[in-house]
Amino acid sequence: MTPRRLIASAALAVATLALAACGASSDPLADQSAAPSASAGGAPVIVGSANFTESQVLAELYAQAMKAKGVDASAKLNIGSREVYIKALQDNSISVIPEYTGNLLLYFDKNASATTAAEVEQALPAAIGNLKLGKASKAADQDVYVVTKQYSEQNGITSLEDLKKVSANAILGGPSELKDRAYGPPGLKSIYGATFKQFKPYDSPAVKVKDLNDNKIQVAEFFTTESAIVDNGYVQLADPQSMILPQNVIPLMRPDVAGNTAATGAIDSVQAALTTEELTALNKKVDVDRQDPDQVATEWLTSKGLV
Amino acid sequence: MNLFDFLLVPSNWTESDGILDLLVQHLFYTALSVLLAAVIAIPLGILIGHTGRGSFLVIGTSNAARAIPSLGLLVLVVLLLGTGVFPIILVLAVLAIPPILTATAAGVQGADPEAVHAARALGMTGGQIVRQVEWPLALPLVISGLRSATLQVVATATVAAFAAGGGLGRLLISGQRTNNYSEMFAGAVLVALLAIVLDIVLGGIGWLAGRRARPKSKMTIEPVPVHT
Amino acid sequence: MIEWFKSHSLDWEWLSRNAGMIGGLTLEHAILSVVPVLVAFVVSIPLGYLVFRTGRAANSLLAVFGVIYSIPSLALFVVMPAFLGTKILSPINIAVALAVYSIALLVRSVVDGLRSVPADVKQSASAVGYGGFRRFMTVELPLAMPVVFAGLRVVTVSNIALVSVGVLIGLGSLGQLFDTGFNRNFFTPIIVGLVLTVLLALIADAIILLIQRGALPWARGRRVA
Repeated sequence: MTPRRLIASAALAVATLALAACGASSDPLADQSAAPSASAGGAPVIVGSANFTESQVLAELYAQAMKAKGVDASAKLNIGSREVYIKALQDNSISVIPEYTGNLLLYFDKNASATTAAEVEQALPAAIGNLKLGKASKAADQDVYVVTKQYSEQNGITSLEDLKKVSANAILGGPSELKDRAYGPPGLKSIYGATFKQFKPYDSPAVKVKDLNDNKIQVAEFFTTESAIVDNGYVQLADPQSMILPQNVIPLMRPDVAGNTAATGAIDSVQAALTTEELTALNKKVDVDRQDPDQVATEWLTSKGLV
Repeated sequence: MNLFDFLLVPSNWTESDGILDLLVQHLFYTALSVLLAAVIAIPLGILIGHTGRGSFLVIGTSNAARAIPSLGLLVLVVLLLGTGVFPIILVLAVLAIPPILTATAAGVQGADPEAVHAARALGMTGGQIVRQVEWPLALPLVISGLRSATLQVVATATVAAFAAGGGLGRLLISGQRTNNYSEMFAGAVLVALLAIVLDIVLGGIGWLAGRRARPKSKMTIEPVPVHT
Repeated sequence: MIEWFKSHSLDWEWLSRNAGMIGGLTLEHAILSVVPVLVAFVVSIPLGYLVFRTGRAANSLLAVFGVIYSIPSLALFVVMPAFLGTKILSPINIAVALAVYSIALLVRSVVDGLRSVPADVKQSASAVGYGGFRRFMTVELPLAMPVVFAGLRVVTVSNIALVSVGVLIGLGSLGQLFDTGFNRNFFTPIIVGLVLTVLLALIADAIILLIQRGALPWARGRRVA
C-alpha cells in the first residue's frame, strides 16, 4: 500500500503545483468586476463596515439615517480590514464605508507628509483616486499604544519615547494587520527606536485585553474610543513625534453616492452630531452591554432627532 | 502577482515568526496534542477492547466528535483559559482522542480469538494476554488510529493562529487581513504538504508494523478518517 | 461567583433579538454542507463504478482519492479561487471544496460497496439474462448501497463541522457566531454556534438513516462498517 500511496501522492502534488502555476497570474483578491455602477439617484446604497465594533456602529448610523431620508440603503457589516474593504468599494460590492482620515491617507499614499488634521484633510481628495469623501467629523478614533497602570509606574513609561527602555524584553500585541503598518512595529523602530522582542497578533480585542491584564503582553495597541482603556485604567502613551496621524471619522464613497444629495445630506447630519465621547459610549453599548450595532444606532439617531 | 511570490522570498522563511518558526510551532502543537491524546486514549481503548464493555460509548463519542466544530471549541476554551500553549493543546487533544480510542478498542477487540483462547489455555493472566497477544495484534490498527488523529490535528492546528498561537494558520489569517493572496496560498500549500508528508510517514510505519503482526479476524469497528 | 455565572450563562434576550440572523446562518450552513454531498452522491456512483471496473488499477486510484481527502479543508478553501477564478469571499469556494472531499470519500465507499457484492449473486443475475447495465442498476448497485450510505453519513456530518472553519478567511456561516463571541468575550453566540452545528449534524445523520431505512429495506438489520 505504501509505495503505491507514495506514487499517488507525488503525482497529485505535481499535478497540484502544475495547475496552480497555470492559474498563477490570477489574483482572487484582485479587483475583478470593474462593472460600471448604477448612477440613478434611487440606486441602492450599501454601507460596508470594517471588522470592528465602531465601524459597524458607524455603518449602521449612516445606513439608517439615509433610510430615514428615503434612500434605499442597507448595511453590510464585518467585511474585513482596510485592504479588503477598499477593494470591495472599488469593485462595487459596497458603496460607502466609514473611514478615518489619517490611516486612509497613508493607505493610498505611504509617503504622505501631512501631520495635522487640516493637512490630512487637504491631502486626501487627491490621494483616493476616483472615490469621494463626505464631511469629516470632529469625532476621532486614533490608534493608541497603552500599558497597564502598574507597568507604567514600575518602568516609568508614559510616552512612546520611553518604550525603548523596555522593548527588548517586552511583547507588543495588536491586530494582525498592525505588523506592517507605518505606525506599527516599523514606525516604533524607526521613529522611537523601540524594537520589541515579539509582536503578537490578535484577532479578538477581548483576548488582547485579557492577555494585557495577565501580563502575557506588556504593550498593546488599541483605539482611543475603546471603552476597555478607561474600564481597565490603562495608560495611553503620548506620541510626541506625531507618528500616529489624526483620525477623524470620514465617509468614503463611490462617486454615484456622492452625487446623491439625499444620501450625502443624511450622512453629513450624522457626521455633524458625532463626538469622540459619544462614539466611545456607542462602542461600550456594543462591547460591554452586548447590544447590537443596529439597535444602538437606532437609539442614538432617535435621541438626535435624525430618524 | 504570482501565487508563489510569498514562498519564494527567503526572508519570509527565516525572519522571526517567519515560515520556519510557524512550521515548528505547527509541528509542536501536533506532536504534543497527539501524544496527550494517545496517553489517554490507548489505555482506555485497551480496557474497552479487552473487556468488551463500553464499545457503544466509543462509537457514540467518535460520531459526536466528528460533528464538533473545532474552531468553536477553541474560541470557548481560549476565552475561559486565556491564550497560550495549553488551551490549544487541550482542544486539539480532544479532537484526537476519538480516532485513537476507536482504533485501539477495535484492534484489541478484534485480536484473533484463537490466539487469545490459546493464550488463556496456556494459563496467561488477563494482563499477560493484553501485553503479549492482544496488544501486538492490535498495533497496526492503533497506528492507523494515530495516523487519522495526526492528520486531523495537523489540519485543525491552523486554528491556533486565531488564538494568537502561531502555526501555519498565521499565514492564512494575516494574508487575508492584508489582502496578500500569495501569503494565504503559501499557508494552504504548506499545511497540505505537511499533512501529505505525515500521512506517508505514518502510513509507512503502519505498513512495517502490519508486516510484523497480521490480525486475521475482521474488525468490528472500522475507524474512519476524520479531518478538519 | 454570581458575576461569573451571570457572564457565562446564556443571554436569552440577545438570542431572541438575533433569532432571525441565527436562523439565516443555520440555513446557509445547512445548504453549504448538504448540497456538496448531493452533488458528490450523483458524481461518485458512476465514478466509483469506473474505478471499480479498472480492476487492479483501482487501488492506486483510490490512493489518490485518499491523498485528496487528507488535504486540510482550510487549505482547500483558500486554494479554490486559484482554480475556479472565484473571489476569495465567495461561498462557492467552500461548497466546491466540500464537494471535492465528499467525492474523494464516497468513491471509496462505492468501490467498497461494489466489492462487497458476492460473486455468486452477480453470476446468478447474469445467468437469468441480466445484461451489464441492467445488472449494475438492479443488482450490484442496490446491494452496494448500504456501504455507500455509511459513507454518506460520514461526509455529511464532517462537512457540517467543517463549514465553520471558513470564518478564518471571512466566511463560515454558523462559524461567524464564534467570531462574534470571541471579539466581545461573549459566550452566548459561541454556545449557540456549537449547539446548532452539532444539532444540524445529528438531524442530517438521522434523515439519512431514515432515507436508508425507507429506500433500502433489504439492508435493515445488516451491520455495516
